[in-house]
Amino acid sequence: MNEGMIDGMKLNRVISMFAILIASVVLISGCGNKSSKEISKEKKQEITYASTSDAAGLSPIDTNDSISSNVTMQVYETLFIQDPETMEIKPLLAESYDNPDENTWTIKLREGIKFHDGTPFNAEAVKYTFDQLKDPDRAAPRASLLEPVDSIEVKDEYIVELKTKKPYGPMLAALSHTNAAIVSPTADKEDDINKDPVGTGPFVFEEWEEGDHITLRRNEDYWRDSADLETVTFKIVPEMSTAISMLETGEVQFIDNLPSDLLPRIESLNDVKVQKSEGTRVSFLGFNMEEEPFTDLKFRQAVAYGIDQEAYVNQLNGLGIMNESLIGPKVFGYKEGAEDVAYPFDKEKAKQIIEENGYKGKKITLLAANRDNYKKMAEIVQSQLTDIGLDVKIETMEWATFLDTARKGNFEMTFLGWANSTADGSELLYPNLHSDTIDASNYTRYSNPEFDKLVEESRNNVDQDERLEKLNEANIMAIKDAPWIVMEHGTVSAAYSKSVDGLLISPNGQWSLYNVSRK
Amino acid sequence: MISLVARRILQLILLLLGISFIVFMSMYIAPGDPATVIAGPTASASDLEAIRTNLGLDKPVLEQYFNYLGGILHGDFGYSYQTGQTVTDAILTRFPNTLKLAIASMIVATIIGIVAGIISAIKQNSWIDVTSTTIALFGVSIPNFWLGAMLILIFSVNLQWFPVGGLNESIFSISGIKQLILPAITLGTASAALIARMSRSSMLEIIQSDYIRTAKAKGVKQKSLIWVHALRNAMIPVITVIGINFGSLLGGTIITEQVFAINGIGRLMIDAIASRDFPIVQGTVLLVAAIFVTVNLIVDIIYALIDPRISYD
Repeated sequence: MNEGMIDGMKLNRVISMFAILIASVVLISGCGNKSSKEISKEKKQEITYASTSDAAGLSPIDTNDSISSNVTMQVYETLFIQDPETMEIKPLLAESYDNPDENTWTIKLREGIKFHDGTPFNAEAVKYTFDQLKDPDRAAPRASLLEPVDSIEVKDEYIVELKTKKPYGPMLAALSHTNAAIVSPTADKEDDINKDPVGTGPFVFEEWEEGDHITLRRNEDYWRDSADLETVTFKIVPEMSTAISMLETGEVQFIDNLPSDLLPRIESLNDVKVQKSEGTRVSFLGFNMEEEPFTDLKFRQAVAYGIDQEAYVNQLNGLGIMNESLIGPKVFGYKEGAEDVAYPFDKEKAKQIIEENGYKGKKITLLAANRDNYKKMAEIVQSQLTDIGLDVKIETMEWATFLDTARKGNFEMTFLGWANSTADGSELLYPNLHSDTIDASNYTRYSNPEFDKLVEESRNNVDQDERLEKLNEANIMAIKDAPWIVMEHGTVSAAYSKSVDGLLISPNGQWSLYNVSRK
Repeated sequence: MISLVARRILQLILLLLGISFIVFMSMYIAPGDPATVIAGPTASASDLEAIRTNLGLDKPVLEQYFNYLGGILHGDFGYSYQTGQTVTDAILTRFPNTLKLAIASMIVATIIGIVAGIISAIKQNSWIDVTSTTIALFGVSIPNFWLGAMLILIFSVNLQWFPVGGLNESIFSISGIKQLILPAITLGTASAALIARMSRSSMLEIIQSDYIRTAKAKGVKQKSLIWVHALRNAMIPVITVIGINFGSLLGGTIITEQVFAINGIGRLMIDAIASRDFPIVQGTVLLVAAIFVTVNLIVDIIYALIDPRISYD
């Protein structure tokens, strides 16, 4: 009955207005499209990296997260650096070092280097940085890196001496850590380097629009040859699938930490190269070593026999490596064959132990954070442990709640990971499994005096060969004692435009853009 | 009218006070410790203790709350635990993006919704009506993240008409408008569908009413019948929907901002919740609440202006 209340002409007019609107949008889009293609042809020496979140800050002293490190690594430099291929530690801002005795590290610095603000790089700058890192008032999140250091003394303009309370084996690894990078004392005193960073690195900070992007430009006065890239942009793209679309359209040229479920899509892209290599990260199932039945080695062995890591690793599209050693192959302290003492997948044996020890039908809660691959791990492990006769319930939590819960020991079994960014086994075993660190980073609350002693010996020794032996012994002891069941050793991964040359992802997932260029 | 505004402003202040207390306490009770998030799993117990003292988290919770309120009275909403940026700065740098997005979505939703609704109503049961109501049903049902991802794949990746993400160019430039189109459609679709359904039913009701029939009988032209006599009355409930929707659009941009990498309030809020950045959570929740209440007040005022029968005095 309402038909005809408006005549056809009026309706047509409305429809044609819409058509014009849509056509003009298309036209506008068409115009702009051309220019974006032109830009890409020019191959300017610039790169945009899609970062999943914003940096927490840009001061190495005041941050401790990988997103911030990605930026600070380009702006600041450390005294020593790990070779991204071999993980061998080499001097960077340092020229050489010497140990006159076990508790003394005399470090000779390179001369003639200036911070971006013109402040000379010297022993004073090193002392200032390390004092700040250790200062309780500053509350540096990675103060623990230099915790064994007792005093820092300037011996000469270019010689600094670190004294430790006890011999400290991982010293060079600690000094290579991005959070031990040297900052300009002038800038730190006068300004907030967390907002306006000043280092000696190949790139100079230009702009940070919080939540949107960070821009760096080439340091023209760099002490080595200047970098090829003129501009580096860290664009914040929280959604991985959006970042992949941006990589496809050329809005960004580089993404890393590729999620295994999206890998097939990334690998199918034209003009995109994927880099995957063995990393230092380890992911594991940890028991609460203060709770029954996890205190029983038999029970832990049964779980270890019951878990088929391969079933999990096979789902990662090549982004995970199976090796049951706690210290992974890319970490100092690993000796080939250590994994042989682990309890390999043997369902029947697991079932038998469970039955013989009266654990059949035992109810267990498996805590999993709802990020990374933890939920996937939980589902696979739940089904495998159900197969051997346990009754496993999964409890998932968001990350901040999880961290708090796990740290307090309010769990039975859970999945954890450790990035091993120093790639030194002592820095894996001490914070995670030494009894000193219960209530802190030793989430599984493992306490074994014999093991503690080996870890201490590996830390309190500056002879690297002896350290390797001690770490290997400690590793084997922990594999046998099974407070953790290793799920996988991570791979580091990145996808980037084929026009990007010279990018190398280090086994700890970090990368420097110094040697990168666009061709 | 003036007493209405005064009353509402007083209510707003009380409401915000209540909200600030609830949010503060819920963040306090919620598991998760900001120091653990800042320091990461690698931090030692002493690292954490130092961070807590530094942030003032070692003080009793009520003292923390009253310190916070005291700060607000001086215009100080605190600092982000994560970045050290002031809450006011963090919000001010991001709010324009959220506002741009919400206004653009509202424009998209209102134009499409009202036009589709009216056409559907006057062409009731025709193919146009059926198509438009079906599309509206899909519009309400489609989740934002899916629609956003699909629009990106079709219009950015395949056709390359629009950029995939970002919202940092001026809206007075072509590139700025292009950045805004896909997010605005993503965010506005559900509202467009809702407005279309509302406009349709409201319009149907009006054009079947006696006064329209009388006007028609008196020979009023169809154009003025629809656009002058019917539309104004039909729009009253529609304006309520638009108003309430605008309020929720401003607070509900989280997913769209996430998908399109837009640096707005929604993302600021969700990141702050994840990292237990209490001052930022407080600030953004208070902002969203204040906007919601203010938009409702404006809707009420517009109501009175449109419909002379409505009076608040």
